[in-house]
Amino acid sequence: MSQLTKRFSILARDFSRAGEVSIQVQGTLKKIGYDQDIIRRASICAYESELNVVMYGEGGHLQLTLGPDEIVLDVVDEGPGIEDIELAMQEGYSTAPAEYQEMGFGAGMGLPNIKRNSDSLEINSAKGKGTHLRIGFKVR
Amino acid sequence: MDDSAEKDSHVHYVQIDESRCTGCVLCMKACPTKAIRVKDGRVARAEGVCIDCGECVRVCPQGAVKAISTEKLVLDEKSVNVVSASTVIHAQFGEGVLPNDILLALKRMGFDYVHDQSYTNEMFNVAIELYIKEARKSSDSSWPLISPVCPVVVRLIAHRFPSLIKHIPPLVTPREIVAREAKRRLSGKYGCKQDDIHVVHITPCPAKMICIKEPLVQSRSFLDSAIGISHVYWAIRKNLGEIADDDVLHHSGGVGLGWGMSGGEIAGLDMACLAVSGLQETIRYLEKIEMGLLRDMDYVEFRICTEGCLGGPYTVADKYLAKHHLHRLVRMFGVEKRVKYEYVRDLYRQGWFFTDKKMTLPERRASSESISQRIERELKVEKIMERLPQKQCGICGSPDCSTFAEDVVDGRASLGDCVFMKQKVKKRAAGGGAK
Repeated sequence: MSQLTKRFSILARDFSRAGEVSIQVQGTLKKIGYDQDIIRRASICAYESELNVVMYGEGGHLQLTLGPDEIVLDVVDEGPGIEDIELAMQEGYSTAPAEYQEMGFGAGMGLPNIKRNSDSLEINSAKGKGTHLRIGFKVR
Repeated sequence: MDDSAEKDSHVHYVQIDESRCTGCVLCMKACPTKAIRVKDGRVARAEGVCIDCGECVRVCPQGAVKAISTEKLVLDEKSVNVVSASTVIHAQFGEGVLPNDILLALKRMGFDYVHDQSYTNEMFNVAIELYIKEARKSSDSSWPLISPVCPVVVRLIAHRFPSLIKHIPPLVTPREIVAREAKRRLSGKYGCKQDDIHVVHITPCPAKMICIKEPLVQSRSFLDSAIGISHVYWAIRKNLGEIADDDVLHHSGGVGLGWGMSGGEIAGLDMACLAVSGLQETIRYLEKIEMGLLRDMDYVEFRICTEGCLGGPYTVADKYLAKHHLHRLVRMFGVEKRVKYEYVRDLYRQGWFFTDKKMTLPERRASSESISQRIERELKVEKIMERLPQKQCGICGSPDCSTFAEDVVDGRASLGDCVFMKQKVKKRAAGGGAK
């Protein structure tokens, strides 16, 4: 089964480049020619998760796996981890410091937005252990 | 299917004068859709989809890439001749020349009826406000809305951002409304067919020729032809002068006049709006919108030319000086709209502003391949990419290494076209011979 994997590294706290990885993800998906709706949803998830790594992680990467039936985004960072995943999934809940919020980031919509726009979401995270998001999209 | 054959069936305003082309790579590198290649030392527009943005025209140092238009103004004696001028024209003549003077000069040039778009621009502002208010009530609207005014932006979205098509409100642009109403009114007045009313559009924008011939958002264009401001500039200049007649042809306030500059359209909107201009910035922000950003904004005015239509290829005045002049005009005529809200609202409710068809997607590139096949192709491209120097020099004739890799996979180029790859092969051969 043909499968394409691409890996992009994400720098921590580099807000000026935040979004660059998502743009590359978006470009790759368009090149393969997936359905518009799946591209839109995957772009939103890529952006939200990329921004999480920029804000909270100590750097990390996004790995894009493309197949004929499924698209998977693996977003891995070595940050502080998520203490209470259930709480983090609530809209508006955020641990972002005030200065991020002043910049317009960290409104507590990231994970809920990813959940809403993906077909599957696995979160592996523990305090001090970093975070691994596996976000899946079914190709119809 | 061969893409170049597909492409040839479309009208394009860009022409290449081979005798002037030196085969440099500037236009190829500037093309946002990677539609240009350099073959045998000459530019060839081949694969990909040209959106008529005009970047190649702007960057060519030899003047070899040219925009075509109706360069000569010919009035048809058998028709009623109407002109619909872009408001950019008012920024071209400097201080002391007022909008009405310019419109009168056009009348003296032989047009039966002269309209500029300034008043319709203000009407359109009101229509957009009404549309936004209604759309905010519905849950399935896509935000932010994107202005339908710049034809190249609409084409860029159709080709590269099709998921954003639903962000473009289905409203007829002011230039088309002016033409439609002139045809309707005058055909009634003279008892003739609408086709006998000939409407010429005077414009800073070469892409208008394309939307007259191949409109994406209407079933037909109401304009009959378009001519660049630069092609009629001296004729207008000659006809300026003694104000003998006191016809009032200009009716708008400053808002309607200011549309030519970036931010001019949204200046008339009491909404959360952004104005973005320039090709690269436009692409950047369309990408952002596609990633779900800017959802809190109501409306984004995109203009492909830097500083808006004042930066169009068919302008005469320097765009910054023109902007200075336009600011002065806006102050002079006041920042209030002169249209009557209730009047426009009633027209809006009658459907006056709405297009007669949904936007059609231009033919996409051959997509008979399955996703699996395209992934296989991409894997081959990646493999070649690993071997390429990543200098992005364009000497091979493709705009960058990744496009070159695609061209190789698709059989349009061979690895030996890359000078670095060729050198490697030579070195290896030389090293082998010495052994």
